[in-house]
Amino acid sequence: MRQLFPACVIVNPFVIAAASTVFVLFQASLPAAGQAVVHAEVASAESNPVPLPDAPTPAIPDQTSTSNPPQAAQPSSRQSLPKPVDQNPQEPAPPSLSDLGLSSSQTKPDPDLQARLDRHTRMLRIHQRLGLITLAPLAGACITSAFAPPDLKKGKDNATGRDIHVGLGAASVTMYAFTASYAIRAPKVSEAPSRGGIKLHKYLIYIHGPGMILTPILGAMAYDQANNGEKVHGIASAHAAVAWTTVAAYGTAIVAVTWPIHVGSLKF
Amino acid sequence: MHRTPFLALLLLAVPALAQTTQVDQSWALDQSTLTYHMSHPIHEVDGISHAARGKGVCHDGQCDFLVAVPVKSFDSGDSNRDLHMLQTTRGAEFPIVSVRFRLPRASLSAASLDCDLEVQFAGNTAHYSHVSFQQKVEGTSHHITGTIPSTLTDFKIPAPSFVTVPIKNEIPVRVDMTWHPS
Repeated sequence: MRQLFPACVIVNPFVIAAASTVFVLFQASLPAAGQAVVHAEVASAESNPVPLPDAPTPAIPDQTSTSNPPQAAQPSSRQSLPKPVDQNPQEPAPPSLSDLGLSSSQTKPDPDLQARLDRHTRMLRIHQRLGLITLAPLAGACITSAFAPPDLKKGKDNATGRDIHVGLGAASVTMYAFTASYAIRAPKVSEAPSRGGIKLHKYLIYIHGPGMILTPILGAMAYDQANNGEKVHGIASAHAAVAWTTVAAYGTAIVAVTWPIHVGSLKF
Repeated sequence: MHRTPFLALLLLAVPALAQTTQVDQSWALDQSTLTYHMSHPIHEVDGISHAARGKGVCHDGQCDFLVAVPVKSFDSGDSNRDLHMLQTTRGAEFPIVSVRFRLPRASLSAASLDCDLEVQFAGNTAHYSHVSFQQKVEGTSHHITGTIPSTLTDFKIPAPSFVTVPIKNEIPVRVDMTWHPS
């Protein structure tokens, strides 16, 4: 009875176990042709008593199918499946800003602040230009002040010189007012206290600001007295002192925002 | 039916995956001084920041570094000038300057470091090749000094002017940092 069965049927359990191991092991990775070969081997071992020509042997590691006992082959072969990480290793991400512990207030864009900064800078640029332009009538008023009072000794009235001085003085005050308005109306962008030259620049406002109000008032009083042929007297006589103090404070305010000055290798 | 083996595979694969993405070594920026220098015919100005943060990550023989510093942390000693700098560089829209570079791990203890820098500033990115830094290693701390040859045009920053005269295009940034492995 046993002789009626071909030899391949006698070894059937071992062949099936080995073939199953191979099949499971390489199911995922083998090409379709290789799988077809394995299927063909299993099929021939199970049911085909007629000897068939040898199928081409797939490139299969021998140890998994031959060295392991059939009982242990299946589970161990599953564990030894190729790990996907070996085929596609991943690199750790390079550090990002979130790794550095910066707060969101430090990293968050603030378009509103940028808009205020733009406006602030635009207005202060105009402030700076007008301030420099104001120097011209101011210098003119200082120069013409020598020709403004009447020369009582020589009997000269100096009305023309006085009018020119008044005109330049008025232009200075008007330009100063425009200059100051741009600084006053510029949006505030920082609550932090001022540091550096700008601090002195701001402190000097308390001198040249009142000076720019007092000077024309005292000047008007002096003008009236001079036009009446009188020697300038009383509080009007302080016009020159107030005016020069104002000009000095104004000039210092300009230098303050420029300080320190470097010319070549020289530092002032 | 085959869920159990797949779950087992997954459980095995995840630690393996984690192992391959593991960082070999990390670096932290201890202290730093970054100084930009601005030149004008009648002005020479230095703006200093000590607020830089930095981190380095090494893997597979390469180390990636990132240094970031808030633009508004630079102090030139004049608050008005600092505000103007912030406005000109669009520091409110782009509040962070970041510098990225990669170094071979083997070169981390060399006396001179040759770095290719990628600097993001004012909404633009500039690349600086072969920037040389000097390094002194004392124990675990690595003291690095050097200068980044940055310019205004690299970041499309319009040159601010003072008394109608614009400042120079060159704004070199002096770097003085101390790193240590973390």
